[in-house]
Amino acid sequence: MGILRTILRPLIWWDSQTLNTQFYTWRKGQRVGEDGEGNVFYQTRDGKRRWVIYNGEAEASRVSPDWHGWLHHTFDEPPTKVALQHKDWEKPHQENLTGTAKAYAPPGSIRAGAPAKRSDYEAWVPE
Amino acid sequence: MTDLRKISIDGQEIEVDGAMTILQACEAAGVEVPRFCYHERLSIAGNCRMCLVEVVGGPPKPTASCAMQVRDLRPGPEGQAPVVKTNSAMVKKAREGVMEFMLINHPLDCPICDQGGECDLQDQAMAYGVSNGRFSETKRVVDDLDLGPLVNTTMTRCISCTRCVRFTSEVAGITQMGQTGRGEDAEITSYLNQTLNSNMQGNIIDLCPVGALTSKPYAFSARPWELTKTETIDVMDALGSNIRVDCKGRGVKRILPRNHDGVNEEWISDKTRFVWDGLRRQRLDRPYVRQDGRLRPASWGEALGAAAAAMRGRKVAGLIGDLVSVEAAFALKQLIEGAGGSVECRTDGAKLPIGNRSAYVGTASVEDIDAAQAIMLIGTNPRDEAPVLNARIRKAWTRGAMVGLVGEATDLTYDYYHFGADRAALAGLMDRAGEYAQGKETVVIVGQGALNEADGAAVLSQAMKFAEMTGSKFLVLHTAAGRVGAMDAGCVTEGGVDAAMDGVEVVYNLGADEIEVGEGPLVIYQGSHGDRGAHRADIVLPGAAYTEEQGLFVNTEGRPQLALRAAFPPGEAKENWAILRALSAELDATQPWDSMAVLRRALVEAVPHMGRIDEVAANEWNRVPLQKPAKADFRGAVRDFYLTNPIARASQLMAELSAAARARAETAIAAE
Repeated sequence: MGILRTILRPLIWWDSQTLNTQFYTWRKGQRVGEDGEGNVFYQTRDGKRRWVIYNGEAEASRVSPDWHGWLHHTFDEPPTKVALQHKDWEKPHQENLTGTAKAYAPPGSIRAGAPAKRSDYEAWVPE
Repeated sequence: MTDLRKISIDGQEIEVDGAMTILQACEAAGVEVPRFCYHERLSIAGNCRMCLVEVVGGPPKPTASCAMQVRDLRPGPEGQAPVVKTNSAMVKKAREGVMEFMLINHPLDCPICDQGGECDLQDQAMAYGVSNGRFSETKRVVDDLDLGPLVNTTMTRCISCTRCVRFTSEVAGITQMGQTGRGEDAEITSYLNQTLNSNMQGNIIDLCPVGALTSKPYAFSARPWELTKTETIDVMDALGSNIRVDCKGRGVKRILPRNHDGVNEEWISDKTRFVWDGLRRQRLDRPYVRQDGRLRPASWGEALGAAAAAMRGRKVAGLIGDLVSVEAAFALKQLIEGAGGSVECRTDGAKLPIGNRSAYVGTASVEDIDAAQAIMLIGTNPRDEAPVLNARIRKAWTRGAMVGLVGEATDLTYDYYHFGADRAALAGLMDRAGEYAQGKETVVIVGQGALNEADGAAVLSQAMKFAEMTGSKFLVLHTAAGRVGAMDAGCVTEGGVDAAMDGVEVVYNLGADEIEVGEGPLVIYQGSHGDRGAHRADIVLPGAAYTEEQGLFVNTEGRPQLALRAAFPPGEAKENWAILRALSAELDATQPWDSMAVLRRALVEAVPHMGRIDEVAANEWNRVPLQKPAKADFRGAVRDFYLTNPIARASQLMAELSAAARARAETAIAAE
């Protein structure tokens, strides 16, 4: 954690956790587990409140379905204890990239690196 | 014989032929009468009731003006002219009522209808409709028909005007369409759900006053107000139909007929109408030069330099294709003959005599067919060679003309006397020539199938002799749009294509794709599409297609017509005359024209009748000496109607239609 980041910490609420959350987590939080991205999941001692502290930007779609279910009290047990069953056709979880530089651009979109070649006729090509 | 009657229309007294209908008299007086079912070139049905007018002193109800003759109107008590009102309160109420009835079952789907913007019902509902509907019940629903790959149907939109039924049965001569049921159950149907078997079926799209019949290939691709309209000339057959080419941006979106009473009336064939998808496929868009046995892309300078180097000091022959304008043919003739070579436009081997216009064009005009009492077809199948001309012959036949045929017996959509399929039948005609033709208006039409075989000259002489004996007018029915123009410009070699190609070292092929050039000579191909010619070529120069440059085309009756540019050539392709002009500079024989206008002036100076656009020049009758033909059957000049030229062969739709026509012919044989 650099000096600049330490100084900016009270201001950048969107990054990881705020000072208030850190204090609350230190006082009440019981660490439950951590996912592949480094997001750490906590709950209160009685299990009534569950929360996540992001590793980096606080972007809700970064939580995978496994942890999302536990976080929202859909599952009682966290995926570290009872793993969520995945079908073999399921793709790995990906956060929502809309609005970022990595957002999907269909072929032919002006945002795509090389726009599709357009022509209003089909040229003859010698065999 | 005219029976002139006085009639007063909206207070305006005019004198018209008694045989005219009130609607026609109104048009003569400059009064507009709304109509849906009435069409000038079809029979009168009188079933839409939109043209109701008030006849004073007649029955106390409005009269359908399209079906009431002027001579049937009763004059006033003192013999005054009958009075017709088209703007009275009664007429207004009647029209509003009719319009309301039409809209009861018409879906209000104009926003998703292709006819939107050019719809008669839309326009007339604006002018004569009421602002709100009183009909809150459900509308009737009609199943759509499958009429094949050209005509899209949405039959709930149909207002039962029966124009399509009348066109197909009267003009196109097919019996697949009809109307069944009465009242609300009345439906336009096709017999046993057959698709239409006609190469003029596209015209029902134009005829349909609503969006019930629309164009399938054009579906949902443009609105009429977005299109750039160019009035030009068709080159798919030698009739030179007047067309309007509609473009959106660079692409041709559709082709529609224009009215020209002397040529195509207002019909065009399906090939003319739907060939436009071929204009954007298989296009030559850059020059190619053959290197180590393969064509590789080249720049214009490189390709022209290679062509000039190949032509210099060699024996050159110029071949002129079927779709070439007169200017391009003339420019090629100047270029090749300046270099000591020879040019030839009769690439199919037709034995058309050089310089004798009465023998390679004839003395009849297309309009003469209307008045003819007898028509003799020799070695031709006009249904495939010029469908719109065939419709004209059919029109003459319905008026009582007799039609005779020497040649392959096929379905021409009308009855004819079949005199036989071989040369002997033609000779046999002479014996009976005097019997039935004397003193009548008669026309003899000779097809290319009769002329492009080895004894073509003899067949032509026999046919001309027959025309002379019967006092008939003579018409040579060509299959190539550019042929007559190129013949007029003198792009011919004594001895035909064999003499021109004899011992030749370089062939300059200007869009002639129907000819096989053997191994040996170097071929320079200039054309618009990558067809047979481009595959054989050693140097390819990309040119413009017929919608992409101006040009004169002389049709089969010898009428020069001016085609205008609707779009631009693709890629690096250039207009044909400009390529020839650039090549002439490379050959150090620069042609003295820098623009199409100067070129055309030079052409008119050399061939004066080219300057008289849209006039059929009279030809001095000059019969070729009689020769004896060989023993053989006549064959049609057109093997496959839909695939006669490189543009049509590039079109996917034409390929589909061709396959469908072949399949239909096979099932017809199997059923027999």
